[in-house]
Amino acid sequence: MKKKTNISDKALKLINQQQIKPIPKWEFVAKNWGLWLGFIVSLGLLILGVGVSWFSVVYNIITPYLWLMVAIVFLGVSFLLFEKTKRAYRFSKWLVIVFISIAGLAVGGMLFRAGLASKVDRNLEANVPYYRQIVPMKMMVWNNPSSGYLSGEIISINKSRFEIKDFDGKIWTITGDPLVRGRVEMVVGEEIKLIGTQTGTSSFAVDEVRPWNGMMMQNIMKEN
Amino acid sequence: MIDQNCQNLDDNELVALSINDSQYFYCLMKRYEEKLANYVRRFTYLVNEDIADVVQESFINAYQHLNDCDCDLKFSSWMYRIVHNQAINFMKKNKQSVKIDVENDDEFVDWLVADTNIEKEIITKHFNNYVKTILEKLKPDYKEVLVLKFFEDKDYSEISDILQKPMGTVATLISRAKIQFKEIYEKENKY
Repeated sequence: MKKKTNISDKALKLINQQQIKPIPKWEFVAKNWGLWLGFIVSLGLLILGVGVSWFSVVYNIITPYLWLMVAIVFLGVSFLLFEKTKRAYRFSKWLVIVFISIAGLAVGGMLFRAGLASKVDRNLEANVPYYRQIVPMKMMVWNNPSSGYLSGEIISINKSRFEIKDFDGKIWTITGDPLVRGRVEMVVGEEIKLIGTQTGTSSFAVDEVRPWNGMMMQNIMKEN
Repeated sequence: MIDQNCQNLDDNELVALSINDSQYFYCLMKRYEEKLANYVRRFTYLVNEDIADVVQESFINAYQHLNDCDCDLKFSSWMYRIVHNQAINFMKKNKQSVKIDVENDDEFVDWLVADTNIEKEIITKHFNNYVKTILEKLKPDYKEVLVLKFFEDKDYSEISDILQKPMGTVATLISRAKIQFKEIYEKENKY
């Protein structure tokens, strides 16, 4: 069954004939360092994504979609880069994902708590062109009546209609029998978001009413 | 001359010397060619010529990557890993599956008998026909770990380094291999 081999002789002959040389050490060192550097940068972006998403969800000022996407994409990138490092195979894949997620949530949470997430948002707005178009203020999204989105503060309520003042100070007459979502109290002074159709220059037929602040923010405000 | 010097040098010393002199690498190849060829033979259906090609390619690949040698691990683990991957790639290219070609080994038989309620006599008596056909039906992952554990005498840490799987996964695969063996045995019980 076993056959006497001369594999080594053939391999050595090939190495010498084709002048095969070991690849220089610096190439492997550079690749290794590049991998770790990429992992650290990716982890940093994950943390930033989590921090700013946290800020946007809690304070409800900016739309969180881009930053949530950043967080998810860089969670994946961090995992893939870590998996390419030399000793990664010694850890379970799930353990790595959980560890990176916890690191992202913990440090991202600290970033938010320290107030750095909002600073990042403001700095990007000031320095990066089109940033605010990509990450609009929620006010901008909900101040677009021709597309069916309107928001503002209730200033008067009658039986079949009520009036709101939008964030530009314009008064709107609202009609309809809307579905009311979340903990909206239909009282004067309440800030709300409306989905419906613009019916005139200052009139709006509403299909759905939502609270201006998310549930998380409402709870925080109640606590305070 | 170098050949004689090699005998007193360990693997890591030979790796360091091989970077500047391929003759030292020849010593390493000589030291491992038989073991590696037998390893490939145990888990592939390749013919001798193909086995020689796989091992030879692995040696050349290893030589080119000597500077990346994971010599914190055993050199043998690093070399087995290269050969294993080379063989798997060769089989994928040729659409072949993983096999298990093992001998009637005491340690292996004892492991098989423990917790399975299968009598040792049956295993020993029918090893070369019935037992081998059951082993053949195991999942490829199970076959790989069994070959390394019982026929290459590698410990969990070395298997982990060769297959690049966590040690816990290696232990689970070995344990599941026995469960699957028992299931197939009970399903096809003839003895």
